[in-house]
Order: sequence, then structure tokens, then C-alpha cells
Amino acid sequence: MSLLLRTHLKLARTSIKENRTRSFLTCLGIAIGIASIILILSLTGSISNLISEEISDIGSGLIVVRPNTSKDSVTSIIEQLTSSSSFERSNLSYKDVETIKKIDGVTNVAPIAISSNTISNGDNTLASATVLGTTPDLIEIEPMTFRFGTFISDKNKESSVVVGHTIALQLFNTQNPVGKTLHFYDQRYIIVGVLEEIDKSINFDNVDYDNAIIMDIETLGKVIGQPQIQQINVKAGSTSELEGISGKIREDLVASKSGDTNFSVAYGDEITHPASTLFTIVSGMLTLVASISLVVGGIGVMNIMLVSVSERTHEIGIRKAVGASRYNILMQFMFEALILSILGGIMGIILGYILAFFVSVVTPFTPYISWQIIAITFATTLAVGVIFGIYPAIKAAAKNPIESLKHYR
Amino acid sequence: MNDTVIELKNITKRYGYGDTESFALKDFDLTVKRGEFIMIMGPSGCGKTTLLNIMGLLDRASDGEYYLNGEDVSSISAARSARLRAKKIGFIFQNFNLIQDLPILENVALPLVYVNKPRTVRLKSASEALRRFHLGEREYYLPSQLSGGQQQRAAIARAIVSDPEIILADEPTGNLDSRSSHIVMEELKAIHEEGNTIIMVTHNPALTVYATRVINMLDGQIDTDIKTVEDHNLPQPIDNKPKRHRRRRH
Repeated sequence: MSLLLRTHLKLARTSIKENRTRSFLTCLGIAIGIASIILILSLTGSISNLISEEISDIGSGLIVVRPNTSKDSVTSIIEQLTSSSSFERSNLSYKDVETIKKIDGVTNVAPIAISSNTISNGDNTLASATVLGTTPDLIEIEPMTFRFGTFISDKNKESSVVVGHTIALQLFNTQNPVGKTLHFYDQRYIIVGVLEEIDKSINFDNVDYDNAIIMDIETLGKVIGQPQIQQINVKAGSTSELEGISGKIREDLVASKSGDTNFSVAYGDEITHPASTLFTIVSGMLTLVASISLVVGGIGVMNIMLVSVSERTHEIGIRKAVGASRYNILMQFMFEALILSILGGIMGIILGYILAFFVSVVTPFTPYISWQIIAITFATTLAVGVIFGIYPAIKAAAKNPIESLKHYR
Repeated sequence: MNDTVIELKNITKRYGYGDTESFALKDFDLTVKRGEFIMIMGPSGCGKTTLLNIMGLLDRASDGEYYLNGEDVSSISAARSARLRAKKIGFIFQNFNLIQDLPILENVALPLVYVNKPRTVRLKSASEALRRFHLGEREYYLPSQLSGGQQQRAAIARAIVSDPEIILADEPTGNLDSRSSHIVMEELKAIHEEGNTIIMVTHNPALTVYATRVINMLDGQIDTDIKTVEDHNLPQPIDNKPKRHRRRRH
């Protein structure tokens, strides 16, 4: 059997070589489809990679509680897209933060609540800046580096804020703004710290820290009422108890929220997944579009195989007359289709990563190469080869030898 | 001792139904002994080629029984008949039927591909066969680079390379000039004298001198059947055991 396989491989190689241009163009069709899938997957991969890198920076003692607005549900995503603010429907409140704080083994709790307001320092005004309400614990959970000053603390949290790099530049240019005041929500706040530029627009908090003002959540609550908490970050004392602690968090929250289970508790790798469900859906759609081009490429393979079968009808007749079975002929053409699509797949993988590299030059993404992505695309290529190669191969195998022998070129 | 290689009983090949029904073969009986060189003659449309195709397992009879080497092959699976074609039957065609894209060496080695012979063995056997038909110098020529006679000799080499039980030739000299025809017939005669069984369809009465038996067909039936050589005088393989040993001595 292995002997025949080798013969089929050799035959396919000869046939592909003989029709070089035709084979190349067919491969190109597959390659374009595979390249776009690789491009999308490698960029998607780079994003979740960024997040998991960040989580490993923080350490593995992290547990994240998120409101369950959109657990993999497309309709809720569409609702979220069409409603004016995506932060309005959180069902987590400051009370939950207090509940979590009381659990044994939890060392720090920092909620992330987002609102926005017009910010001014007297001279300059920013029409709409992100105001992030949290607790002084955030600095214990997520390490941040400061250009000037420090993070808010329990002592000064009533009146102080920390500003992100870009906001500081926009309002104060390159001056040191620590000690100056900012005016928003009809209140004055003193700047105690300025963050170093982070330049990572994607993180597991889903917050762009460069463009945010950080303040105490209770202080924020006093001026805007109940802040909408989009996430609660919890740090556990020891990593070995993560499972137990997250179970306890779930239990206590359900109890304190009188049975409401509309939230999720994640730790470890799970944190990265729903960083943005919207993003997952968008990349899913893109992959779908890319698959269409792969299908078109597959049809190209089928087309060329049908031409090849009809051109070689006489050869099929001869082969059958000297003893080739239907299975032999089927395999011969199957292999040819498979090799065409595998060649296309390899071209596509290379092309896709070249494209991803060019995209990474103009965006913050780094192309993410993993054996999983390559394995998935390779498997897809094989599937395309089989799906689109089987019909021409069956057609070839079913040819009547007597009729085929009469078929001269 | 004469083995029966082929036994046909009441073979009928029918085309069409009802008013359009016609018979290519009708209740055809034939027994072929090892070592016979049968020439089948007859007007166009008398069923010669159909007979050859049925005997070569390329086509199937509508009715009747067919025993090849004692095995009932009237209703075997397509896969089995492909296997038998590869092992027991060698075809020679009027238009040579060589694969144009392959050098003649690979063409000759083709039947061995389908009996799972390793590549080196295939090419070695093919090379031997080609040398025997004086084409040893041209192993890597493409069929289109050879004359008709040379192509037909390559086709004969292909027919015998897997040591078949019978060789079926459908007007092997039909496309050749008289000189090439003569050479080809001499080669067929030589392989017949080694004990091979050959069944050949021809239009040329002059070629019947090579035959041990001449069958004239008319309307799908045997018209005349003349044996020129007694059964016990037919050439036989030097030994009947694995024929491969026999060939190796040449």
C-alpha cells in the first residue's frame, strides 16, 4: 500500500509540474484564502497573547468578577452595540466589592467602574475623558509605573486623582502636574500622580489607561450616584487556593445578591477569553469572510481537477486496462488535489505571516505565530483538498475503460 | 497436458432493449487452451472487439458464464477484475495506447504499479522487457519520439511484463506499415513459442499463418473454427511453476 502511495505522490508531482502555470494559479487561490485566515488568526492571537502576558506580569493570584451581560450571546452583543452606553447594564455594585473583601484569602479588591465627563484645569478643557473609579488597592493588583507622584491612597482618596499619560500631556503639556487641580463633575480634585505611558490599548480591564483619570470609587459615587462596575479585580493571597476562593466569591455574591447569578468569576487563562466578546465576534465574522475566499479557492481546485480528469481520460482508460482499480484512480486524482491544496496552504501560511508582519508595522499588534494556528490552517487545507478533490476523483474513477480508450487527445 | 485458460459458455452481450435490442455476441462458446495462438477474423461489427473486451474483463457479458483459469469471473467485483487484469491479462491495442507523458520505460512498468511491485523491481523488469524487443537504447524516449512499430513493440513489452496468462491483441498491426507489421508479428510469434497464450483480432488474412487456430465470426457467433496445430503440439511453458523463473532464463 505504501508503495502505491509513493507512486501516487510521484504521479501527482509530475502532473503538477507539467502544468506549472495552471497549478500555480490554482494554489494561489487557496493561498489567498489561507493567508487571510492566518492574518486574522495571528492578529486575534496577538491580542489574547497581549492580555495573557499582562496577566502573567501581574502574577497568577488574580481573580476577575465580571457582570454577565454578554456571555457568548450574539443578541446581547447587538443590544450592547445599539444601546448608547455599554456600561449601563452592569449588575455589580460597590456592595459586592465589600462582600468580596470579607472573604478569607482575599488580600486586595479593586473594582473598575467607568464614566466620562468634561475635564478642565482652568486653561485647557477635554470634552470627554474616561473617569475610572476604583480603590487604592488597584496598585496592589496591577503594577503601574509613575512618571510623577504616586497612586491614590486611603488617606487622600476623597479629593485626589491619578491621570494617564496622554491626558496629562493634553492638559499640562510636559509640566509636572502633581499638586495641580482638575475640575470635573462640578468638583475640584488634586492630581497626586501621573502614569508612565503604557501604549497598550488592549488589556484585561478593557481600559485605556493613557486616556483615563483614576479616582476613588466612593468619591465618584458621591457625585454620579451608583457607579457602574464593569469588572472587579481580586487578588488572592496564595495561588493554590484560587479555585476555592473563586468558588467562595461566587457563593457569597449569589447569597448577598439574593440569588442573582448574572455574573462570572474567572481566574487564570479564563480571564483572557472574554476580554472583549465583541472583538471575538468581529474576528469570527472576519474569519467567516476569509473562509469564503477559501471556498472560492477550493472551487478553483475542483475546476482544475475536472479539467485534468477530462484531459487525461485516455490515460485513465490505459491505466484501467493494465489493472488499475477504481480505488487506484480515485487515489491518484485525490492526491493531486491534496497536493495542490497543501502547496496552496503552505504558500498561504507564508503569505499570511508576511501580511501580518506588515500590519504589525502600522498597528500595535505583533504577529502571533503558534503551532495551533498552523495546525488548524493546515487541517483546513487538507479538508479543502479532500472536499473539492473528491468529486473529480470519483468522476475519474467511474470512467468506463472502453469508452476512455476511444478518447484520443 | 493442456490446461484450459479460458472457458466461455453461452456468452451473450446485448445492447438496447425492445425494438432497439441488438446482440454483439449471442450464445458464444469458446474454450482456449494454454499455448494457443488464436486469430479472430470477421467483418466489422461481428462482435470481435466486444469478445476481446469481455475476455479482458474490461466489459461484462449480459449473460453466460466465463471461467478464467478455472475461476468463475462472470460476476466478480470491479476491484477483483482490476486485480485480474493486472495479473493475468496483457492488452495490445491497434493504436498502441501508451501514455504520452511518460517515457516508454515507465509505460512498460505500468502494470507492475498495480500489483504493488517496488519501483526498482518495476523498472528493472520493464528494462529487461524493452531490451528483449530491441528498445533497450530508448528507455527514456517518449512514445511520440518513436515510430509506430517501435511504439507497438513497447506496448507488447508492457503486455508481457507482468507475465500474464493470456495476451489479448486487438488488431496490433492495423496502424503499421507492412515492414513494421512483419516485425511485430515475429515478436508475437516468438512470445507465443515460449508458451504464451495469445488471442488476436485481425482483418488481415495473411497473418493467419502465425496462428494455431483461426476463428471466423459472423453476427456474434462462431462461423468457422479451424485448428492448424493439434492440441498436444502446442508450445508449452518450459515449466508450469512460477512463470517468473521461466522468463528469467531468457
